[in-house]
Amino acid sequence: MYIYNEVDQKIVDERVAQFRDQTRRYLAGELSDDEFLAVRLMNGLYIQRHAPMLRVAIPYGLISSRQLRKLAHIARTYDKGYGHFTTRTNIQFNWPKLEDVPDILAELAEVQMHAIQTSGNCIRNTTTDQFAGVTPDELEDPRPWCEIIRQWSTLHPEFAYLPRKFKIAVTGSPRDRAASQVHDIGLHLVQNDAGEIGFEVLVGGGLGRTPVIGKLIRPFLQKKDLLSYLEAILRVYNLKGRRDNKYKARIKILVEAMGIDAFRDEVEAEWEKIRGSELELTDAEIARVKGFFQPFAYDADAANDTTLQQKLDSDEAFRVWYERNTHEHKVPGYRSVVVSLKPQLAPAGDITDRQMEVVADLAEQYSFGEARSTHEQNLVLADVKNADLYAVWQALDEHNMARPNIGTLTDMIVCPGFDFCALANAKTLNIAEQINRAFDDLDYLYDLGEIRLNMSGCINACGHHHVGGIGILGVDKKGEDWYQITIGGSDREDAALGKVLGKAVAADDVADTLKKILETYVELRTEEERFVDTVRRVGVTPFKENVYATAH
Amino acid sequence: MPLLIDRQPVTDDSWQPLDADATQLPAGQDLIVPLARFDELADALERHDGAVAPMVTGEDDLTPLLDSLERFAMIAVEFPVFRDGRGFSIARILRQAGYTGQLRAVGNVARDQLGYLERCGFDAFAFSDEVYAEHFLNAFDEISVRYQGCADDPRPIYLQN
Repeated sequence: MYIYNEVDQKIVDERVAQFRDQTRRYLAGELSDDEFLAVRLMNGLYIQRHAPMLRVAIPYGLISSRQLRKLAHIARTYDKGYGHFTTRTNIQFNWPKLEDVPDILAELAEVQMHAIQTSGNCIRNTTTDQFAGVTPDELEDPRPWCEIIRQWSTLHPEFAYLPRKFKIAVTGSPRDRAASQVHDIGLHLVQNDAGEIGFEVLVGGGLGRTPVIGKLIRPFLQKKDLLSYLEAILRVYNLKGRRDNKYKARIKILVEAMGIDAFRDEVEAEWEKIRGSELELTDAEIARVKGFFQPFAYDADAANDTTLQQKLDSDEAFRVWYERNTHEHKVPGYRSVVVSLKPQLAPAGDITDRQMEVVADLAEQYSFGEARSTHEQNLVLADVKNADLYAVWQALDEHNMARPNIGTLTDMIVCPGFDFCALANAKTLNIAEQINRAFDDLDYLYDLGEIRLNMSGCINACGHHHVGGIGILGVDKKGEDWYQITIGGSDREDAALGKVLGKAVAADDVADTLKKILETYVELRTEEERFVDTVRRVGVTPFKENVYATAH
Repeated sequence: MPLLIDRQPVTDDSWQPLDADATQLPAGQDLIVPLARFDELADALERHDGAVAPMVTGEDDLTPLLDSLERFAMIAVEFPVFRDGRGFSIARILRQAGYTGQLRAVGNVARDQLGYLERCGFDAFAFSDEVYAEHFLNAFDEISVRYQGCADDPRPIYLQN
């Protein structure tokens, strides 16, 4: 992973000192609420329903054991002993005291971490495939490009006061595991006819009130032009994006209003002026950054292991976990392990200080000292030897992180909802619990196969409900929580927005409604057909009829 | 009105904003005139015997200005509210187009933006009396490291040494 040099370290240290002074001035009444709002947001600090919330950056989801232990320490010392992983692969602490935040940031800086640009109207944490660099289907590792974007976008002086937040995702494999098509910019490493690798560039995707799938702005961009092209897009957006209405301020609205062709013309005109400038990446710099993401010293003997097969044959629970929660690795004899943060009885993405330390220890012992966070709110140990999988499973199982539900209905993406978030209209955690209770039969879940269930407590869509195979949106109706259900969405390479099933259902009826939807699926599916494909083939109507016919 | 130029407080400033309802230009005065009024005041501007600086906002089309940059010793960029970041890009476009005169940020400019504003090409900052404080001078150096090139130095960090 990328290791800070003196300069990187100086930035985070200076930033801590700067924020310490800003906090001091605010508490002394020298800084207005409005100005402090802007500077605290650019340091990841929100004021929430109960307390401030601090969002710490995990650049493209990559984190070391040492960093995880620091997060555990922060959770224990400054919070209530847990953190929450987000769809931006960051971690949130829900209970810090405002006056402690400068100290927390100083502790983070000790382990090369920070909360810079995790909120506010600026360029946010760039995200990528959680299996980057290790998945066999990859064209090229996207992480060096994420790091190049991270450095370019960090404290970028021109783009700190954009019309609205700005999110970039990069993928290196045909399988999109980063929801790249619902990002402000989606970058796909692709190969052109000449055999060169560059970027396909999408722009104007996003969720929130107005969900939009990203549009193709450039089918092939040379690698060296990455930053000049991004800068051109950002400049056009910064100048032309709407600022009169924050719900219409994302780049997707601008691209829709101008039309992709006119928007592209503006970007390319701006790009012509800057593409040959110092923004052009040098081969030496690309090579330098790639140097941080070289393959580990894998054990050449790993594939000769026979113990894994023995354990799979003899331990049914392990076999089930292996099939669900591990992913193939490009090096024979290794697997990537998904650490499930979707237990039966705790909020999706939540992790205790103790669990963080367990993952840190496992990473150190079995996975080259690194872990990853995923946009589905799980963690990954990317490089585990076959021979070690059983031990890893046992440790995860002991600490409630081995629920074998990855990719199934209960591997839900869920925002914190009304229980924590000041923006939310409705609770989500109680509904997730209701669903967990109703769908606790693993065989049934496996029979249903791959289903992405995403839930948001308000229209801002932090839980990505529009792109869930099943999406649940909490809405407030005269003081009561109701839930609008969509089906047929996808955040993968076949990205699509779900279609509304019908009128919203009452809180108590959500799980029953899902049961009816899934009954319909089981009845109508062809062999091996995923839920989302059945919905696409037969449309919403059969589902709707089954759900609403028997209501009352 | 407190004014910083090149990180120094300046008291003798000859520039005056043109009154919003003025139709005549005060003789001999160096004036800051909204770019949006240039057409309407074209004749008076032509005859004016003081200097003129356009004041640009995010609503303006910069194209005509870019063709005549050498005419102006000063260009003001207005920040209607401090969260309106269009001025940052306007400054970069003006500097990229070769403008070398004074670039002055006016309106709602916040202390904690000064470092970024300077990096984008501003060298002068006008504040209202109520907001300005001496510690504003400390704001420029709070972050000394620059990952990316900008108007101050086009080189990214890996080319800086």
